[in-house]
Amino acid sequence: MNINKRQQYRNLFKQNVERRLFVDKIVRLIVISCVVTAIIPLGSILVEVFKNGIAAISIEFLTEVPGSIGSGEGGIGPAIQGTLIVIGMASIIGVPIGVLSGIFLSEFGDNKLAKSVRFFNDVFMEFPSILLGIFAFLVIVLVLGHFSVWAGAFALALIMFPIVARTTEESLKMIPVTYREAGIALGLRHWVVTMRIVIAAAKNGMVTGVLLSVARIGGETAPLIMTILGSSLFFNNFDTPMDALPLRIWRLSLLPYDSAQLQGWGAALVLILIILAINIGVRTLVLNKNDTYRFGKMIKEKIGGTK
Amino acid sequence: MTRLIDPSLEKLSQTMTEMGDMAIKCVSLAVDSYLEGKNTNDQVHDLSDSIRNKYFEVEDLIFDMLLKYQPVADDFRMIRSSTEISYAFSRFGRYAYDITQVRDLFGDISECTNESLLEITKKVKHMIKEAVLSFAQLDVRKAVKIQEDEAFIDKIYKERLPKLIESNNTKCVLAEALLLRYLERIGDHAVFMSDAINYIVTGKHKPSEKRIASHTKSS
Amino acid sequence: MATKPNTLQRQISSSSNIPTEEEKFKMIAENVTISYGDKPAVNNVTMKFKEKSVTALIGPSGCGKTTFLRCLNRMHDMTKNAKVEGKVMIDGIDLYSKDIDPIYHRRKVGMVFQKPNPFPTMSIFDNVTAGLRLNGVKDKKILNEIVEDTLKMAYLWDEVKNDLKKPAVELSGGQQQRLCIARALAIQPEVLLMDEPASALDPIATQKIEETITELKKEFTIIIVTHNMQQAVRVSDYTGFMYLGDLVEFRETKKLFTDPKNELTAKYVQGQFG
Repeated sequence: MNINKRQQYRNLFKQNVERRLFVDKIVRLIVISCVVTAIIPLGSILVEVFKNGIAAISIEFLTEVPGSIGSGEGGIGPAIQGTLIVIGMASIIGVPIGVLSGIFLSEFGDNKLAKSVRFFNDVFMEFPSILLGIFAFLVIVLVLGHFSVWAGAFALALIMFPIVARTTEESLKMIPVTYREAGIALGLRHWVVTMRIVIAAAKNGMVTGVLLSVARIGGETAPLIMTILGSSLFFNNFDTPMDALPLRIWRLSLLPYDSAQLQGWGAALVLILIILAINIGVRTLVLNKNDTYRFGKMIKEKIGGTK
Repeated sequence: MTRLIDPSLEKLSQTMTEMGDMAIKCVSLAVDSYLEGKNTNDQVHDLSDSIRNKYFEVEDLIFDMLLKYQPVADDFRMIRSSTEISYAFSRFGRYAYDITQVRDLFGDISECTNESLLEITKKVKHMIKEAVLSFAQLDVRKAVKIQEDEAFIDKIYKERLPKLIESNNTKCVLAEALLLRYLERIGDHAVFMSDAINYIVTGKHKPSEKRIASHTKSS
Repeated sequence: MATKPNTLQRQISSSSNIPTEEEKFKMIAENVTISYGDKPAVNNVTMKFKEKSVTALIGPSGCGKTTFLRCLNRMHDMTKNAKVEGKVMIDGIDLYSKDIDPIYHRRKVGMVFQKPNPFPTMSIFDNVTAGLRLNGVKDKKILNEIVEDTLKMAYLWDEVKNDLKKPAVELSGGQQQRLCIARALAIQPEVLLMDEPASALDPIATQKIEETITELKKEFTIIIVTHNMQQAVRVSDYTGFMYLGDLVEFRETKKLFTDPKNELTAKYVQGQFG
C-alpha cells in the first residue's frame, strides 16, 4: 500500500471526525434532556408530597389513633406502627429464605433443580401483587377465619423473597471465581469459603437487594387489603387486623374531606421518610469495613490535613 | 519461521566462515614463505589484521545476542563455542604473522628446510583445513583426525628440539626453533577448536585442555 | 557455511526422570491422567519433585501444565467433569486415596495464582491469617508471629509493617502477589505451587518475586508453572517440558536449556514454535 493511498484514507477520516463530534454533541443533549425529563416527575413527586404533607406533621399526628371521619383530628399512629411491624415480620420470614435460596442458586446451582428454581423465581417476581394477596387470603385468612398480621407478613414475604433471592444470587455471582479458589487452596471447607469470604465480599450488593425489596413491600397496598384489612386501633396481637400506611393513605384519599386529604399527604410523607431512614440506617451499619476505613481516612485527612 | 535471533546467527556464521578461509590462506602463505624464501610479509600482515578485526566483530555480535535474545539450547552452544573458535582463528593469523617475522629477521632461510619441517608444515596446513571444514559442516568425526595431527606435531616438536641443541648452524637452529614453537601452538588451538565444535554438537565439554596443559608442567 | 547441528543424539523420552540418588523426593506424581469429558488434558504423566528444590513446568499454551499443577493440591475437586487418575504422593501418602481428607492434605500444599487475589474485604493482616483464623486459630500472639514471619519471607514486611490494617486491595500488584505468597505460607505448607506468579506483574515486581522464590526454596519445595523461559532458567533447579498433555522432557534446568535431549524441547525453547 503506497503513501498516496494512505493519505487518501487519512483525509477520509478527518472529515468524518468533524461531523461525528457534532453528532456527538446533539446526542449528548438529547440524552441529558431525557434524563432530566425522567427525573422531573420523580423530583416533583417528592416536592409535592413534602409540600402538601409537611403541614400535617405534628406529634399528635404521629402518635394518635385516627379520629372520627372528617373531623381532621387524630393521627396515623397505628398505621406507622403497623407498617413497621408488618415489614419487620415479612423481612424476618422473607430475607433468610431469599438469601439462602440465592446462595444455593449461586454456589450449587449448576444442576436441573437449580435451573427450575431460578425459572420459577423469575416468574414469581413478575406476579401482580394482588394475586399474591389473594393467595395469602385463601391460604391463611380463610383457613384461620380472620384477617391478621400473620397473613399480611406472609403475603409481603412472598413478594420479597424472589427479589432477595435474585439479587443475592447476582451479587454472589459477581464475585470472581478466583477468590473461592484462593479459599479452597488454603484448605478451607466449602461452606466456610462461601460464608466468610464470598458473602463478605458480596455484602454490599446483597444489602442493596434486601433494601430494595423492603422499599417495595413498604408501599404495597393490594396484598394488605386482603390480609390485614386495616383498623383504627394500635397493635393488639398478631391474630387481629392491623393498620398500615399504604392502607391508611388509600382510605384517607378516598374521603371527600380536606382534612382527610391533608392527613393523607402527611401519611405519604411519613412513609417516604420511613423507607429513607431504613435505607440509610442499614447501609451505615452494614457498610463494608474497607469503605469505613477509607471513609474514616478521608475524614481524618480533611480535619488533620496530613498526607 | 524467522526468529529475531536468526539474522544475527547468519551474520555470525558468515563472519566465522570468512575468518576460517582467511586463516587457511594466511598460514599457508606464511609457512610457504619460510620454506621457499618468498616475501609475503604484507599479505600475511593484512590477512592477520583482517582476521583480528573480524574477531572483534564476532565478540561484539556474540555479546549483543546474549544481551538481546538470551539464547538457549543449540543457539546457546553455537554462540558459546564461537568465542573459542574465533579466538583460535585470530591466533592462527597471529602465529602466521609471527612466522613471517622470523623470515624477515633471518632473511632467506630456505636452505634450512629439512624433511621434518616439510612434514610438519604439511600436517599443519592439513589440520587447519580440517578444522575449518569441521566447523563449517559441524562434523565431529573430523575431531579424531585433528587430534592425530596435533599429536604428530607434538611428537616432531619434542624430537627436533633436542637435536637442534646439537646443531652448529645458529641461524637455522633459531629459526627452526621459533617455527616449531609457533606450529605447535597452532596445533593446540586447532584442538581447542575441535573441542568447541564437539560441544556444539554433543553438549559435552571435552577435557583436551588437561592433556595439553600438561605441556606446561614437567611431563 | 555452518549447517544445522548433527542430530545423532536426539531421543524421545516420555515420562523421563532425574536420576534417583539418595536425595529425598518430597512429592511424587505417578501416572497422572486428567480428563475433561473424553479428552485427556494430561496424559499419564509421572514427575518426582526433590525436597527443597524449585521445579519449573514450561510448555506452550494448552499443553496441560496448569491442569497438572492444579491436581497436585486437588483443586480439580471443584471443577465439573474433571476426572483425575493416578497417584499424587506427599511423603509417601497418596492425596487421592479414598481415606484421605483432602482438606487436611491441601494444607500441606499451598497455592499462589496467576492474578493476585487477596480477599477484597480484608486487611493485610486478615488476609495473611485467613487460612488460620477461618480454621479456628484464635491465639493473637501466634497470629502476630506468623504474620511477621511470612511477610518477611515474602519480602513484604518492611513495606507494610506499619499499616497492617490497611485494606489489602490498596497495595500495588506486586505487593498483592507477595501478600498472596505470605497468605499461602501462613498455613505452614511443605510444598508451594505457583501458577505463573509473575505474569501479571511489571519487571521490578517480577524480580522481587523471583528473589522471594530463591529464598523460599531453602525451606520449601516449590513447583512453578511459567511462560517465561528465562525465568525458568534463573529460578529453577529442574524443568519439565510438557506438550499436548505429555511430559516430553524432565531434567536439570541447566542441562535442559543448554543441551535438550528431545528435538521438540530444543525447538520449543529456541522459540521455533508455540
